[in-house]
Amino acid sequence: MNLSLKSYSRARAVHVMLVYTGGCNGCDIEIVNCIFSPKYDAEQYKVFLTWNPREADVLVVTGPVTKHVEKPLKAIYEAIPEPKAVVAAGACATMGGVYKNIHGDIPSEEIAGPVHEIIPVDAKIPGCAVRPEDVLSGVVSALPLLLNAK
Amino acid sequence: METSMIITSLVAVIGTLIAAFVVSFWLPGIERKFIHARIQQRVGPPLSSPGFMAPIKFFFKQAVTPNSPMPKLYNALPLISLIVIVAILLLIMPQLYVLGALASIIAVIGLLKIEEIMYMFMGSLSKSVMSVGMPFPDLVKGAKHVDVTRSYVEELSTLRAFRLIAFGSFPIYIALFVPVVMAKSIFLGDIVAFQQLHGPVLFTVGGAIGAIAYFIGFMILLNEYPFAIMKTKADVIEGPLLEYMSKYRAYVYITRGFLIFVLASLFATMFLGIPPNLFSPGILVTIAVAIIFPIAMAIMSTFSPIFTFRQFYPVVAATSILGVIALVAAFL
Amino acid sequence: MDNNNKVTSNVIEAEVPMGTVHSAAIEPYRVRLFVEDEIVRDAEVTIGVNHRGVERIMEGLPVEKANSLTEKICGICSNIHIWNSVLVAEKGLEIDVPPRAEYIRIIMGELERLHSHMLYLAHGSEVLGHETFAMRLFYIRETVMELLRMIGGNRVQYGVPIIGGIRPRADLDEMKIQKIKEGVDHIEEKILEFADRFIRDPMVMSRVTGVAALSKKDALRLSATGPTLRSTGVAVDIREDMKQYDPFEFDVITQDDGDVKSNLLMRVLEIPESIKIIRQAIKDIPDGKITNRSWEMQDTGIIRNYVEAARGKLYHSYRLEDGRVRNSIIRTPSITNINAMEHACIGTHITDAQLAIVQCDPCFTCTDRAVQIVDHPLKKNNRII
Repeated sequence: MNLSLKSYSRARAVHVMLVYTGGCNGCDIEIVNCIFSPKYDAEQYKVFLTWNPREADVLVVTGPVTKHVEKPLKAIYEAIPEPKAVVAAGACATMGGVYKNIHGDIPSEEIAGPVHEIIPVDAKIPGCAVRPEDVLSGVVSALPLLLNAK
Repeated sequence: METSMIITSLVAVIGTLIAAFVVSFWLPGIERKFIHARIQQRVGPPLSSPGFMAPIKFFFKQAVTPNSPMPKLYNALPLISLIVIVAILLLIMPQLYVLGALASIIAVIGLLKIEEIMYMFMGSLSKSVMSVGMPFPDLVKGAKHVDVTRSYVEELSTLRAFRLIAFGSFPIYIALFVPVVMAKSIFLGDIVAFQQLHGPVLFTVGGAIGAIAYFIGFMILLNEYPFAIMKTKADVIEGPLLEYMSKYRAYVYITRGFLIFVLASLFATMFLGIPPNLFSPGILVTIAVAIIFPIAMAIMSTFSPIFTFRQFYPVVAATSILGVIALVAAFL
Repeated sequence: MDNNNKVTSNVIEAEVPMGTVHSAAIEPYRVRLFVEDEIVRDAEVTIGVNHRGVERIMEGLPVEKANSLTEKICGICSNIHIWNSVLVAEKGLEIDVPPRAEYIRIIMGELERLHSHMLYLAHGSEVLGHETFAMRLFYIRETVMELLRMIGGNRVQYGVPIIGGIRPRADLDEMKIQKIKEGVDHIEEKILEFADRFIRDPMVMSRVTGVAALSKKDALRLSATGPTLRSTGVAVDIREDMKQYDPFEFDVITQDDGDVKSNLLMRVLEIPESIKIIRQAIKDIPDGKITNRSWEMQDTGIIRNYVEAARGKLYHSYRLEDGRVRNSIIRTPSITNINAMEHACIGTHITDAQLAIVQCDPCFTCTDRAVQIVDHPLKKNNRII
């Protein structure tokens, strides 16, 4: 573990951006709970919320990516400057959830795939819906990639 | 004798600048940890993270060309803004009062105006992906009004910055003229000397009312809640600053902390008569004011929503009237 | 969407689109505001990003699986979807539900209404710019989430109703009832304190009073439903017609103006009503079994059912064929509230336009499915309530 100014400063101020890609909203509210609920306050772990991709380090994606959202997701991913990490939160984002994997006679054709088919993913958090404490530990687990990147 | 005086002055100026930067790195952290977090009943980030570690982290990020018609000019604007604010701090230092007309209140107000105009330029040059650039099928059959010009959210911010320049800076300018009226001179050297003789302006009736107007104007200039309509999360996300990344965003962060310090030490110079000078005990008063101002501002901003123009106009009008009352009281 | 006041293009200066990803939106939707000097003259809300094809997936699933799937339609109003879906099956197969199960289902439904209203208030405060109030509300909301987790097993999507009763895990014993009682007492005290603080704050009140007002005539014409309709003065609440709510006594709250302040006060005042229902339920809860497993599957025609969700009137229908679900249709309240949203935006400043959209409590994830508008026999005087 190198203790240079670069990795030290990257560990002390992490900016997180949320993208909702058409899920049921359960994971979205749980992640908003992480940031806005004093019980789970993410700022004490030096994780700040931002809504601007140019300012973000970590992108947290929830929801199975529907066809309409595929291009916006790619545009936002490309707008984030390096080094970046992507965290897929929830069962829908990690493997498509119920929408892609369960069907009666007709499968759904609206899902463009879980997140790793669209953009490269670094950490996956399971759960339906994710628990806020799991989201925080997931974001923190993606940090070593940022710290040791060029 | 001459050279040693010049060298002492130079050391004092540079030392005060460095002290100003060092103090301003901690101010955003003090705001977030001790005020916002305490009031919102949560723990809050460590003191150094928002103001010190965040700009350093941004220095180490990759810089991509921003989406802008003139990217080089757009990227140069935060540094110009920082230089303008450093110039304000230099002008109020006593060692530079020899510069004559440049060390006057007119120059300070002119530099503050340049800082406000920067936002207009930034807003008109920023074309981020978050509004029109989002690849979404908008102009399809059945959509409403397909023939209207589409504007980015940053252009909204430019219009709002223009309105703020037009009337939002009245409170602070009127308040800045109260010590001028009392000292009967626009030169900073004379204003400081007047207060060494007669006591601080703050302890007179006109000065006290003027200080309140100054504080509200200070909040408007810093675009802090409730006056943050140019940068509100409700519609424009971040306004003119949307396309800044890596070291240019670090300049934006540093500029904000530094501006708080500079405006606080301007208050100390004009209303208390203590200019920022590293080699005199007055520097402690300057630093104390620089810590008290953001604390008071954070307390006010934690408890307020964002004002739209329906509330903004009356508040600015009321504060300007307060400022005029202070001016009249200063005359008498 | 409504042709009565057609706005011509030469009044409009510019269009400001706000994208699928935006700081004021908790769901992805696209809104295009047509402005003239920062005042909104027309608005267009486009959904479709959230369409996952839920009704299509349900075609041919066994009925128990289809019921569990409806819960995943929305994370905020999950219980009401599965409850309504189960009610459709019970109506069609004529299954009697034991009374203890009915009471527990109602407790879960009202707890969900509590958390949904608190989320609405927190989101409204956030769009106003008041982070402190949003954080205070999220803190109070945590109590409800803990109660839901205690009963159902998960904070979101608890899956309590099944056909014939409730899941055995969700049965209430003495300790759980005591915890529910303490929890709702705590919530009522804190919400009333918060409402007092909210109304006394002049800055917040000046932001919300008179903004984005919807008149009673317009709300009825645009087929608004739920608290959005009740905040304009029309007292329509489906809970009065549901036979499950017969043993309980509660008031139907209405407000007068239909602006943001009325909408916020609506939700704040509905919270003590829900707590009243929960208190009656835990006091009078009958003993007995919680599931009725003695029923048999048959083929049925299309069965319809309406309930009152937190956002308005919810409709489910499907038919059963050989134990599988066919032709399911789900119609959520937010689809008609979209009209009200677009109409309420007109005449406001842009920053208030997002507030106007949030005031109608959108839940676009519930809403996003293919819609076909037909002339329905229940339509009276050109209005469907």
